[in-house]
Amino acid sequence: MATTANPVDRMGTDETHMPPSRSPWAETWHLLCKNRMALTGLVIFLVFFGVAVAGLTVTSGKDPILDPARVRLQEKLRPPFSAPKTDSLRSEELPALGIYILGTDDLGRDVFARMLQGAWVSLTVGFVAVGIAVGIGILLGGISGYYGRQYIQSGHILFWLLLVLAIVLAFQKILSAAAVLLIVAIAGWLWKKRHDRRVSPLPVCLKWIALPTMQVDTLIMRAVDIMLCFPSFFLILTVVALLPPSIYNIMVIIGLTSWMGTTRFVRAEFLSLREQDFVAAARALGISDTRIIFRHIMPNAVAPVLVSATLGIASAMLTEAGLSFLGFGVPPPHATWGNILSDGKAFIFDAPWLTFAPGVAILIVVLAFNLFGEGMRDILNPKLRERN
Amino acid sequence: MLAFMGRSIIQKVVTLFFVSVISFLIIHLAPGEPSQIDPLNPKFTPEMVERMRTEFNLDKPLHVQYMLFYKNLFTGRIVSWRDNQPVLGKIWERFLNSLPLFVVGTILTWTFSFPVGIRSAIMRDGVYDKSATFLAYLLISIPGFFFAYILIILVVTELHVPVIGMETFGVTSASPLVRIMDRTWHLVLPSILGATGGVAVLSRYVRSQMLEIIGQDYVRTAWAKGLSSETVYYKHALRNALLPFVTMFGMILPGLIGGSVIIESIFSWPGMGRMAYEAILGRDYPVILTLNFITAALVLAGTLISDLLYMVVDPRIKL
Amino acid sequence: MTVRRFLIIAPAIVSLVLIISYFWVPTFEEQTRGNPDRLVQFITTSSGDAAMLNPILSADSASSQINGLVFEGLIDRDENLQFRGRVAHSWKIYEHAFFYINENAATARWGRLDPSGLVSHLRTALDPRTAEWQHVKAVDLLPPEDITHTFSTQEGGEIRTVVLRAKAPQRVRIVLDRVDPMLFERLIKILGDDYYNTFDPAVDVTAEPDLPSAQLKAKARALMPPTAHNPVIEFYLRPGVKFHDGHGLTAEDVKFTYEAIVDPKNLSPRIPDYEPVKQVLVVDPLTVRIVYKRLYSPAFTTWGMGILPAHLLNDRVLAEEATERGQKPDDFNMRQSRFSRHPIGCGPFVFQEWKSDQHVRLKRFDAYWEGPPNYQEYAMRIIPDSLTQEMEFYAGTVDDYSVLPHQVARLKKDGRFQSFSGTAFGYTYIGYNMRREPFDDIRVRRALGMAIDTQKIIDYVLYGQGEKITGPFVKQTDFYNRNIAPLPYDPQGAVALLGKAGWQLGGDGYLQKNGKRLAFTLITNNGNALRKAILAIAQDAWKQIGIQVETDLLEWSVFIQKRVNQLDFDALILGWSMGIDPDLYQIWHSSQGGPFQLNFVGFSDPDADDLILKIRQTYDHERQVDYCHRLHEIIFAEQPYTFLYISRWTALLDRRIVRAVTGADGRNVYKPIVPTKTGGYTFHFNQWIKLNRPPEFSADG
Repeated sequence: MATTANPVDRMGTDETHMPPSRSPWAETWHLLCKNRMALTGLVIFLVFFGVAVAGLTVTSGKDPILDPARVRLQEKLRPPFSAPKTDSLRSEELPALGIYILGTDDLGRDVFARMLQGAWVSLTVGFVAVGIAVGIGILLGGISGYYGRQYIQSGHILFWLLLVLAIVLAFQKILSAAAVLLIVAIAGWLWKKRHDRRVSPLPVCLKWIALPTMQVDTLIMRAVDIMLCFPSFFLILTVVALLPPSIYNIMVIIGLTSWMGTTRFVRAEFLSLREQDFVAAARALGISDTRIIFRHIMPNAVAPVLVSATLGIASAMLTEAGLSFLGFGVPPPHATWGNILSDGKAFIFDAPWLTFAPGVAILIVVLAFNLFGEGMRDILNPKLRERN
Repeated sequence: MLAFMGRSIIQKVVTLFFVSVISFLIIHLAPGEPSQIDPLNPKFTPEMVERMRTEFNLDKPLHVQYMLFYKNLFTGRIVSWRDNQPVLGKIWERFLNSLPLFVVGTILTWTFSFPVGIRSAIMRDGVYDKSATFLAYLLISIPGFFFAYILIILVVTELHVPVIGMETFGVTSASPLVRIMDRTWHLVLPSILGATGGVAVLSRYVRSQMLEIIGQDYVRTAWAKGLSSETVYYKHALRNALLPFVTMFGMILPGLIGGSVIIESIFSWPGMGRMAYEAILGRDYPVILTLNFITAALVLAGTLISDLLYMVVDPRIKL
Repeated sequence: MTVRRFLIIAPAIVSLVLIISYFWVPTFEEQTRGNPDRLVQFITTSSGDAAMLNPILSADSASSQINGLVFEGLIDRDENLQFRGRVAHSWKIYEHAFFYINENAATARWGRLDPSGLVSHLRTALDPRTAEWQHVKAVDLLPPEDITHTFSTQEGGEIRTVVLRAKAPQRVRIVLDRVDPMLFERLIKILGDDYYNTFDPAVDVTAEPDLPSAQLKAKARALMPPTAHNPVIEFYLRPGVKFHDGHGLTAEDVKFTYEAIVDPKNLSPRIPDYEPVKQVLVVDPLTVRIVYKRLYSPAFTTWGMGILPAHLLNDRVLAEEATERGQKPDDFNMRQSRFSRHPIGCGPFVFQEWKSDQHVRLKRFDAYWEGPPNYQEYAMRIIPDSLTQEMEFYAGTVDDYSVLPHQVARLKKDGRFQSFSGTAFGYTYIGYNMRREPFDDIRVRRALGMAIDTQKIIDYVLYGQGEKITGPFVKQTDFYNRNIAPLPYDPQGAVALLGKAGWQLGGDGYLQKNGKRLAFTLITNNGNALRKAILAIAQDAWKQIGIQVETDLLEWSVFIQKRVNQLDFDALILGWSMGIDPDLYQIWHSSQGGPFQLNFVGFSDPDADDLILKIRQTYDHERQVDYCHRLHEIIFAEQPYTFLYISRWTALLDRRIVRAVTGADGRNVYKPIVPTKTGGYTFHFNQWIKLNRPPEFSADG
């Protein structure tokens, strides 16, 4: 499996580093300024972020400035930059900006207002989905990379089985049994913990508890393999179709089906960082695992993770748009770029702006994310860095 | 080698087993039993619900249902709820329709990525490289369906040619050559769309591989020997840069089902992606589960082939 | 070197092959490229698949479209909406009228007479040489007869079978050469005012088991009405008409078709049309006589129904098919038969192939009695997505396209196409449940209608592709009363009218009466963008005048089965698709207001009921028009619906499609396609053909 990992992902860690003349951040910034594509990406990304936040404030609330849901049937399919026909509209129906910047759709709703609302939705979908994916990825990848060689003992499996059973029972409303199981599980765990500290051998009848079964790393990597076997878009489509339509379901599902890359990536980072001298030194100083992970390893691994998260946001936004396009996306009343496009495609010959406005917007934003992400990846990859 | 293969196959079978369990659970643990889903759907007749119950053995415990379903799958007895046809036969029919699309798309991807990627690497940071890079990002970033509609509109309004479907409706009486060419034409747009993402990613990959190789000592040696740039790039460097791509052949397989849902829907292409979409719309669980299973099997077969190929081409690797 | 060359040549070759293929594909301009047969194919689209290719069972438009080409009826309507013979070349409509001899009554003119005396007197009185009785052909006396009638009643959940035995008295039969609904009214001046009324059929009736006398009397009266009209239609079939399998069509097939429709096993949606038929008689192989139980003027139209081949669908054949497929012959009916997927009729096109959700293909019938159509092939493609339909039309792989309202302005001007438009036969309305408050008040219904700006709906929702209407008749026919002006758009007037009905504006901005708000829910089905838009407009318009309106979009099946059929709604938006015949019985008669019936708004007006019955009993067009105009007025005055609009449709055809007719000199003459009176352009479809280049017509057309 690992043979197919993208070589661009591989970080050169064995290079001999010259002492940096600038702080790492300043160095990165300097390189970023030199990479014009990445810089453009960053600027567009910031503008998009600003627009999305501004869009949220002007299109939400009880009486929004730009009302994306205002239906004006007499103003159907007006082209961009057209002025409203003031004689047939009541004053509160007039668009706040005086004209329809991006035209109106088949119900006379202001496409500009809908695009603004959609910007925020797209942004949230992208960020939350990737947030979930990165969260899971860092957690599993970190465990796998740092504790990977440890074995899972049968006792651990038993503990988790009891826990899961307790949860299932709780869902079945058999609360007393669930509570008993929970107490047994936690008591067992605490007992084992205390016993370990005493370093005395386990009684013979309980020997099996400490029986090693498989490596943590193997378990997590197999889970990754299993998840990678699912055709992701098909899987997302299936689950979204089965669940009631909701914007949160979509975010969660996209997140739950795209954590595998980050996991592998973080694991690789942790594996290599763990062997570095500064980690060994920290361990020799008796610093706790938690501190080593969060103070020493994580800061070194986080930058590339964030870069891949940027790319992940781009692909999550595309996925959301694709789902909306197939009719499984974010349900009304939320406007997203995907469903504006999907609704507008029937009018492609008569009102092309309904297709082009969201299409171009998605293109630009995703492109910005990709350019910025890839640019940052190049910048952070010393191997591909130009020597100067 | 044999030991590796044996271990690897066992591992993959175990993985496949877990995939089948998980996909079965996803379908079953989704809110509501399959029989209760969407009672308002007019297509969901009581007869169908009944058929579904027997088909899925819903009255039995979950593990028995699972066993029965996969037993039926392996004996080829599993039938679609929609028309009661054997699922495997349906998939095979759709597979044959998807195949040309997939083959042409793959040919496009591979024939275009290499020249573009290599040239980009050779002309690193030149105008060609910069614009190729930008174009690649553009192609990755464009939503497929949006791109599809732009292309369709261009072709339909400028050329007045049919683009939807596998062939022009009504050419059945034309000569074989015309029919073949007609079918080829209908492949053009969807396969271009299918290939865009691939070309973009693969050409970038080729570029980075080439760059890495170009920096190697033996390439420097080749230069020092005074070989022509032609020989250095296309003989010494390219051959070594190609190594990882051999393994990618294995990874093409799963693409057969995966990415084609949207394109096949737009072009009304009666292939597997569209079948998957229709099955999801019609909640045709046997078809969904079977397709899922086959894809997972293809992914695993693909990785196995990759690993083997890698072993074959790179003698340094011993697994 | 080779590697490098390969890397450049390979993509070049691939691109070249793909690009070259373009030159083989037919384009819109050159549809015959590589495929000369394209000119003799007509390809159309449908957004839904056909359901059942059997004309007596199908109810969807895709099936009807195919059935109309594969099957043919006895008659149809020509360009001017007049009837014209198809399988039947001519027909005769006449009447047998009956009345029972009433022994108790004395005639007005001749006093008390014995039956034979009465008949002989009548023969002289009804003299065909006089203007009044010129349609009388014969007067006979029929002997008494014994009638046995079995029926079942339900009492307290228990079903009883009752056998009625009656000794019917002698009967007088008057044979007329046309239908005369007024015959008995005019006979009154001869027979006397009470001659029919005093006839008591219950005298000689016995029931087993016995019935209460009131019930018995009612049953007897239904069994032996004092007078009866029996209109008769006699069709003379065209000799030599053949089904597609070569079997000749005879009167037996007509009789079989009728029997198949009324057979309850087949669940035909057309049973109500044929319920008034008393008997279908095969007089000889080419003559069929249809006798009706009572006056029923819509009857004639119903014989446009496609004729089924008896030899392929009779009980024996069906039983064989059932056995072959392992089903019980008793449970097996025409619906399950494979005939519905492989129909055989006698129409101009022969069924070829039906691929579900893909297409239906037909081939022309060379032995068609009127001569085969010009097109060799007819194909209906099933394309659900209207955008795909549109693109396929632009690419020349579909020959017609139904233009959406917002596209009309753009496409009508396009020189590549010829366009046709007309007014649809259906209308859209808002219906009020008149059983419920506040819709039981006519002023409320009227006010609700006045608050809605129909013109705005037509202009903005339909892009001007619609017309206002005021009543339930088809606007193109003369049954529609053009003197009625539509309700004015007058929100102030509406408020005033509601005020008169007791609804006053309360402090919260809503209209109130006795402390109750004027509030209701307006529903319609999901999936129809127009109705959804109207829903929003109506809600908004009513909110403006202080009515609290909730709206709900429901799935079609839920909407119909749970709400409309159960009469569980306040107000709804729906449309009716109408036939040309003015019969409104099912939708507007007060007897049709129960659950699962079509008068779901609960409209009930004795005058309207009377007119509805008269319309379906009148065979005289002028009189029918008069009744219809009066009915239209009543319905408009009552406003059970707010009648909104009928839409205009526009269809495009490739401009190269023309009519080819053989001229006097035996050569083909091309004529443009012209729409008929109702806007229908497919009337001459059998003459259509596609040319290679746009035609130029001579001045005389």
